[in-house]
Amino acid sequence: MGRAGLAGIVAFAVGLTTVLSLLLGNNPALFGDQPGSEELARRLALPGDVLLRLLVIVIALSIVIGIVNLLYIHIGRLTRGKFYSAVLLASFAFTIFWLTVNRGDTSLLEAVQVPIESALAALLFLSLALGGARVMQKRADIWGLLFVAVVLSVLLGSLPLAELAPVRAFSAWLLAVPVSAGARAILLGIALGTIVVGVRAVLGLDRSYRG
Amino acid sequence: MTEQTIGLISFVLTLMVFSYVLGDLPLIGALYRTAIYIFVGMTAAFTLVVSYEGLILPYLQDIQNTETSWTTLGYQADIYIFFTALLFGLLLLLKPIRAFTWLTNSAFAVVIVVGAAVALAGALAGTLFPLLRATVTIPENLTADFSALVDTLTVFIGTMTGLFYFQYQARANSEFGEEHSRLTRAFRHTGKVFIVTALGAIYASAILTSLTILSERISFLFQFGF
Repeated sequence: MGRAGLAGIVAFAVGLTTVLSLLLGNNPALFGDQPGSEELARRLALPGDVLLRLLVIVIALSIVIGIVNLLYIHIGRLTRGKFYSAVLLASFAFTIFWLTVNRGDTSLLEAVQVPIESALAALLFLSLALGGARVMQKRADIWGLLFVAVVLSVLLGSLPLAELAPVRAFSAWLLAVPVSAGARAILLGIALGTIVVGVRAVLGLDRSYRG
Repeated sequence: MTEQTIGLISFVLTLMVFSYVLGDLPLIGALYRTAIYIFVGMTAAFTLVVSYEGLILPYLQDIQNTETSWTTLGYQADIYIFFTALLFGLLLLLKPIRAFTWLTNSAFAVVIVVGAAVALAGALAGTLFPLLRATVTIPENLTADFSALVDTLTVFIGTMTGLFYFQYQARANSEFGEEHSRLTRAFRHTGKVFIVTALGAIYASAILTSLTILSERISFLFQFGF
């Protein structure tokens, strides 16, 4: 076994330990009413606790490394005279200065972050409305028609008009029954996909960590 | 910062973002891009501060406190965990150096596999089992209400055929997906009806949410500007 196999063995051992610890740990009911079941469940949870704690710190460090990399790239672009990189770096430096001087103050968040995020979310309406209108141009089939009909039903059903009471009732049924079933199928599909990817990663079949 | 200053900055930035609607004209496009770069710089700074103050600093303070411990292993174990994490962070930085690839890959393997294991356990215990239980559980006094019985059956059939539709798609995209019986086609189409209906409702909800935010922004612009 060469050095390349080390990552695979580490991955398998760590992955299996984490999964078993998370599923079996802190759950004494799994071991029945026997005297040592609580202690056993607590001991089984320990490796998962340690590895999760390790993961959280590594993720925090990765975020810091990512931000340092972003700044490094924009400093490089600044030397080539890029105006927007100067804006980004100035905005970053000002925010760090502001948060250092005014600790716990959220006014910068309210003045800049919230309005830009809200305005971007508001712009999304135009893209969604335009996209919805184009569905029938691009896909003039039964599925496109069904999609647009459902969108219109839900939108009309949300209007507080007395004349639209039947549409509102239909929209409520739509959300409670077929949409609920479709959403459950989508969520179950996502969960099954996650499980497959997770098992592949734990067994070392999907070595996405190899550089 | 006073309320008036906050309002003025919000007003200007909202207009800068909304200038996107006017298209990519020389000066107008610059306004939108400037707002976006301000946003990215500020978000990076906030993220850095929150990561440091919310995660790294409490851990640093914790490992200096001999009376508290993250696990049942005691105070000494916290120090080992913290410095192992620092070592992993250092190894992530060494990724571009080819001579250390085998070592950095091992550190990556631990991070990715623990993340995958958490997702796996979460998907099993948090999504798969509860949703399957909710789908197959028969509600009480169902026989008294015929429409409730029909609705429950519809949800069950919709969920199962929706899942079959995903499976069918996977088969259809593979080299083995040649057989198309009438029954599988019927299952597939039924599942697709439920999936398209759910996606349509999600799309409509996204439209409603963004419309609510748009009306709030326009109302703010009129209140502050006029």
